[in-house]
Amino acid sequence: MTTAVYCEAAHLHGLELIAAARRFSQSVTALCEDAAHAQACRAAGADEVIRIPLSKDDCAQGTMAAQIIGQLGPDSVLFPATVRGRFLSAWVAAKIETGLTADCTALSVTADGLLLQSRPAFGGNLTADILCRQRRPQMASIRPGIYPMPERPARESPEGMTAPVRCLEGGPVRDYMTRTGFEPARGADSLQDARIIVAGGKGIGSKKGFEKLFRLAALLGGAVGATRSAVDAGYIGYAHQIGQTGVAVRPELYIAFGISGAIQHTVGMNASRTVIAVNRDRLAPIFRCADIGIAGDWEETADAMIASLEKGSGSAPASGRG
Amino acid sequence: MNILCLVKQVPDSLEVHMGSDLTLQRDFVAQILNPADESAVELALRLRDAHGGSVTALSMGPARAEGTLRELIARGVDRAALLSAPACAGSDTLATARALSAAARAMGPFDLLIFGRRAQDGETGQVGPMTAALLDIPCVANAVQAQMEDGRLSARQLTEAGTADWRISLPAALTLCEWSYALRLPTFSGLRRAKTAEIERLSPGQLGLRPEECGLKGSPTRVVKVSVRESGVRQTQWMTKDAVCERLSELVREVKA
Repeated sequence: MTTAVYCEAAHLHGLELIAAARRFSQSVTALCEDAAHAQACRAAGADEVIRIPLSKDDCAQGTMAAQIIGQLGPDSVLFPATVRGRFLSAWVAAKIETGLTADCTALSVTADGLLLQSRPAFGGNLTADILCRQRRPQMASIRPGIYPMPERPARESPEGMTAPVRCLEGGPVRDYMTRTGFEPARGADSLQDARIIVAGGKGIGSKKGFEKLFRLAALLGGAVGATRSAVDAGYIGYAHQIGQTGVAVRPELYIAFGISGAIQHTVGMNASRTVIAVNRDRLAPIFRCADIGIAGDWEETADAMIASLEKGSGSAPASGRG
Repeated sequence: MNILCLVKQVPDSLEVHMGSDLTLQRDFVAQILNPADESAVELALRLRDAHGGSVTALSMGPARAEGTLRELIARGVDRAALLSAPACAGSDTLATARALSAAARAMGPFDLLIFGRRAQDGETGQVGPMTAALLDIPCVANAVQAQMEDGRLSARQLTEAGTADWRISLPAALTLCEWSYALRLPTFSGLRRAKTAEIERLSPGQLGLRPEECGLKGSPTRVVKVSVRESGVRQTQWMTKDAVCERLSELVREVKA
C-alpha cells in the first residue's frame, strides 16, 4: 500500500501518522504545508516529502490538496483529525468523490490489502470497522495522540536539513473567503504535552469548580482537561476537551474528577499510564479505566489534594515536557 | 436572504439496543432534532428576521422525520421538505452530501446553507463541508456565531488553536456548534400553521440523482463489522482520598523521573 500523510503547518501530529502508516505501507509520502517539517517527516519514516503551498483559507487549501492528491494517486491518505484537518479531509474526499472515515481510533490492513478503519460509533458504545473497497484513495482522519509521537533524533543531521522536498503545483485556486482576525486559545498547546492531566466532567458544576482544578494542576505541574459535556456546559474552553471529538492524550498521570466515563471521553484518555478516578458513584464506568478509584466527592478530594501538596511543598512540582 | 437548514433526527439516547439478530434496534428509541441543528435553525431564523427572506428546512431520512419538520414550522421555519426514499437508505457521508447538494440546487437558489457541525449519533461532522465542496461554495466549520455585515457574512470559528474570524461573500455554508444559539419556542400561530403546512416530499429522481449515486450503491465506504467496545478495563484499587493524598507526591515523583 502507498500512503500519503497530510501534515499541517500548525502542529507536528502528522509525524504520528507517518510512523503509524510506516507499519502497513510500502511507501509513505508526507504532504507538508511547511517545508521546515521535511526533516522531521523523513526521520519519522516518510520516503518522500511533497510540499503543498499554503492557501489563505481552508476551502482553497482543500481544493489545492485534492488536485495534488489526485496527481499523486496514493492508495490511502491520512489526515490528523484536528478541526482543520477534519475539514480539509472532508473537502478533499468530496472533490475526489471517495470515501472518508472520521476520527479513526485504529488502522490496519486486511488480507486483501484494504485499509481497515475502526472508529467508535453510537457515542462510543460500539466500534465500527469500515472499508472503502472501490474508490481511491481510501481516506481517514485520526485523532492527534491516538498513535504515539515518534522519537525525534537527538541532533539534527546536516544532510537531513536538506531533505529533498518535491513541489507539486495544482491549477489556479480561487480565494473562497478572508480571515479577518484570530485569537489564540489559552493553554491549548500544553494539554497534549502535559505529563500530568487533571480533568473534570459535568459533575464539576461550574467555572468556579474548574478554577479549583486549575489550582491543583498548577501545584502538580500539569494541565487541565475536560469532557465534552463540561465544555458544552460552558465551564471551560473547547481547547481543553479530551475524547473522541476533542484531543486524545497519553500522560503519565491522569486524575479524573466528576467524570462518569462515557466511552466518547475514555477513548481519548485510556492510553494514560496511571489513572486516578474520583466519583461519588462507585458504578460509574470511569472506574473501568482507573488504576486507583476514590468513591467520594470530587471537591473534597481536590481540596485534600491541594492541601497536602501545599503542606508537603518539599516535593517540587513536576514540569511539563516542552 | 434565502436560507436552507439541513437537519437530522437522532436517537434521544445513545444506549444501544441490539436485536436477537445482532442488528441495531433504532426504532425503539425516541427521536429528537439533532442538538447542533437546533443552533443552525435559530441562527437562520434570526438572520431572516433581521434581513428578510425565508428559511427552508430540509431533512433526509425516514418518513417519521416529518414530525421534526412540522415542529420546526411551529418554531418559525417558512418551508420544509423531506427527502425520504428507500433508495437513499444506507447512505454514507458522501452519498448524503451528494443528495443534499442536489436538493439545494433543485430547491434554491439559496444564499446560505446552515448545518449543525455534527450529528449526535454519527459524529463525523463531514456532511456539511462535503456538501459545500460539491457545491463549491465557501464553508466555515465549527462556527459559534455569525451575522451579516455590509452584505457579507462574518462568522467566528472555534478551533483547538483559538477562534478565527472570517468574512465571506454569499452564497456560503456554515456548520454550527451545539451551544451557539438556543432554539426559540413554538408560537401559538406557528403551532396552528404546523398542523396543516405541507411538507414537500422529494425523490432522488426529481433531484436528478441516478440510482447508483444514492444509498448503499452510491456510498464508497461500507461498515463491515460492528462490535461492542470492550477495551482497556483496568484493575481498580479502591482507596480513600487521604490514602491517595499520601501517595500523591510519590506518584508525581515517578512522573518526574
